[in-house]
Amino acid sequence: MSISNYKAEFEKMLNRDYFSKSLHLYRKEAFAQLEKTGFPTRKWEDWRFTNVSIISDGEYKISEISDAPQTTPNIDSYQMEGVDTVVIYNGHYQKELSSVPDGVALLSGLEHFERKNGKFDTANNSPFDLLNTAFTDSGMCIVVEKDTQVEIPIRILFISNGVRSIMVNPRIYIDVAESSSLTFMEHHVGDAESFFQNESVFISLENNAQLNHIRIQSNSEFTQNMANINVNQDADSQYHFWQLVDGGKLGRSNICVQLNGENAQCYINILALSKNNQHIDNNIIVNHNSPQTHSSQFVKSILFDTSTGVFNGRTVVHKNAQKITAHQTNKNLLLSKKAKMNSNPQLEIYADDVKCSHGSTTGKIDEDALFYLQSRGINKQDAMELMVIGFANEVLDKIPHPEIKKAIHTEFTVKLNRLMA
Amino acid sequence: MIKIENLYVSVEEKEILKGISLEVKPGELHVIMGRNGSGKSTLANVLAGKDKYKVTNGSIKFNGENLLDMLPENRARAGLFLSFQYPVAIPGVNNMYFLKAAVNAVRKSRGEEEIDAVDFLSMIREKLKMVDLDESFIHRPVNDGFSGGEKKRNEILQMITLEPKLSILDETDSGLDIDALKIVAKGVNDFRSPDRSFILITHYQRILNYMKPDFVHILMNGKIVKSGTMELAKEVEKKGYSWIEEEVAEAA
Repeated sequence: MSISNYKAEFEKMLNRDYFSKSLHLYRKEAFAQLEKTGFPTRKWEDWRFTNVSIISDGEYKISEISDAPQTTPNIDSYQMEGVDTVVIYNGHYQKELSSVPDGVALLSGLEHFERKNGKFDTANNSPFDLLNTAFTDSGMCIVVEKDTQVEIPIRILFISNGVRSIMVNPRIYIDVAESSSLTFMEHHVGDAESFFQNESVFISLENNAQLNHIRIQSNSEFTQNMANINVNQDADSQYHFWQLVDGGKLGRSNICVQLNGENAQCYINILALSKNNQHIDNNIIVNHNSPQTHSSQFVKSILFDTSTGVFNGRTVVHKNAQKITAHQTNKNLLLSKKAKMNSNPQLEIYADDVKCSHGSTTGKIDEDALFYLQSRGINKQDAMELMVIGFANEVLDKIPHPEIKKAIHTEFTVKLNRLMA
Repeated sequence: MIKIENLYVSVEEKEILKGISLEVKPGELHVIMGRNGSGKSTLANVLAGKDKYKVTNGSIKFNGENLLDMLPENRARAGLFLSFQYPVAIPGVNNMYFLKAAVNAVRKSRGEEEIDAVDFLSMIREKLKMVDLDESFIHRPVNDGFSGGEKKRNEILQMITLEPKLSILDETDSGLDIDALKIVAKGVNDFRSPDRSFILITHYQRILNYMKPDFVHILMNGKIVKSGTMELAKEVEKKGYSWIEEEVAEAA
């Protein structure tokens, strides 16, 4: 598939003087590689159910200074109690609206790059990671030093707004050093009329480090969202991930976790709520590279109207990774006859002493449960809402930090009630 | 309280109930016994309003109203309660939240104000004691991961919380150990009053050691073939059902 639409934008990118020239080499290399591979098509095994032609044929422009807000934007409706917030608006960092908690170092991409002695992490060479590397225009590097417990969650609020067709390629690095902990939240919002966000996140957890990662994708129905999340975990580290997707036209999350050290643990929890002709795809790969590692994937979808969804979960247990446990659960609730879900949980096991399970269910509202609630005096409409919220609660209830949980829960309930009314 | 007349019910074209008539007056406890497949649970589900059952003939009057015209939720609001043989698990729905929603739905229909969280909690604490359950129980999802005994006690908890006029207990005693059975029986006995009625559907005579029924009916092949008192239940316990079958065959 052609990427010619992106070529002119790439030339523009290289000529922008406010980006460091030291990254040009990597940008060019990535773009050259992308030109070779092209964007994925439905012939690619991992992309069979997701059509990205809206992106590959799209004419998204890089975000210019003129796409930044001319005055300080009003973020009242996105306020959240109990967190420190960093604001990125159409790819432009809003310093005056941002603060970070104690114990966290916020580095520029260049500083981070230098700290890593010029090593520029590139991920599994998926087309969208390559695109991000070529076009990286914004982002954050969050570094938590050894033995530091960051109590206040840090949130990056990504706002996408405006009428011009633009794309942003944020790149986030999160490094949590030994025996440290952090809660990081990304919150994607906005009313853009045509937008493409291609985000890459690189997470590195050293021995015994712990990260809670909460990701909320609630941006406009004219937004195409690609999220490329790459996690590397050393021994005894814990990665807890919650993703809630209800926004966007097309949403695809590529989540790739490497459990490299013994007793590294990752827990992936996802809730997708889709309506109209939205398409939400969660593509997860967890690699058990070491013994005694643990993983779980718990992914739920609620589908209205003609919306579609994909769950593609792969757990790979490498040969020496004995005594691991791995679970995959995918549950989908179809609230319309025209909604469609593709579910594909896969286990690839090359070790012989492991405990693995996987399961997938897709169905309508349970009529017996509905009758049970009605028989207690609750009317049918309320009973359905109760059950759908209950279905969602299995993911939402596990979110850490009571204030964040409450905010997410409230917003989600409002959205759901509106859809079910 | 309730008057069932000449009730015929089919499920997927198959006739299950074939002319049932039964009247239960305020304060009475009626027991319906019968073998598997005799139509006991069908009767319970029809009374509660499950829609896969088709009433082809007959009528049911509940406190003067035509029960068959009412939605399941309206039957509950009018004071009818079914303790399910197999209570359904509802993952993610908190038991307390569910109970409160049910109590408020019933209250609202009576034109009463909704109960607030504090009053509800103190009320539910009292009720929990009556069925010997601790408070953590109401913070779990409805019936999800409950043991058989816990599910049945949860049904009784709902009954004494919703305070129905007519309670139908569908094999609430089946599969319970003796301690759980005593708790369930005590829950029902404490709840009995001159204005409350019960239909107890059971397979076994055992629970009748802890309860005093006013009438016992034998259901066979979709019909009540014999009615009596506690003595009838004892006879069935001793001799089984075959002698009744023979009686029915002779009469035919």
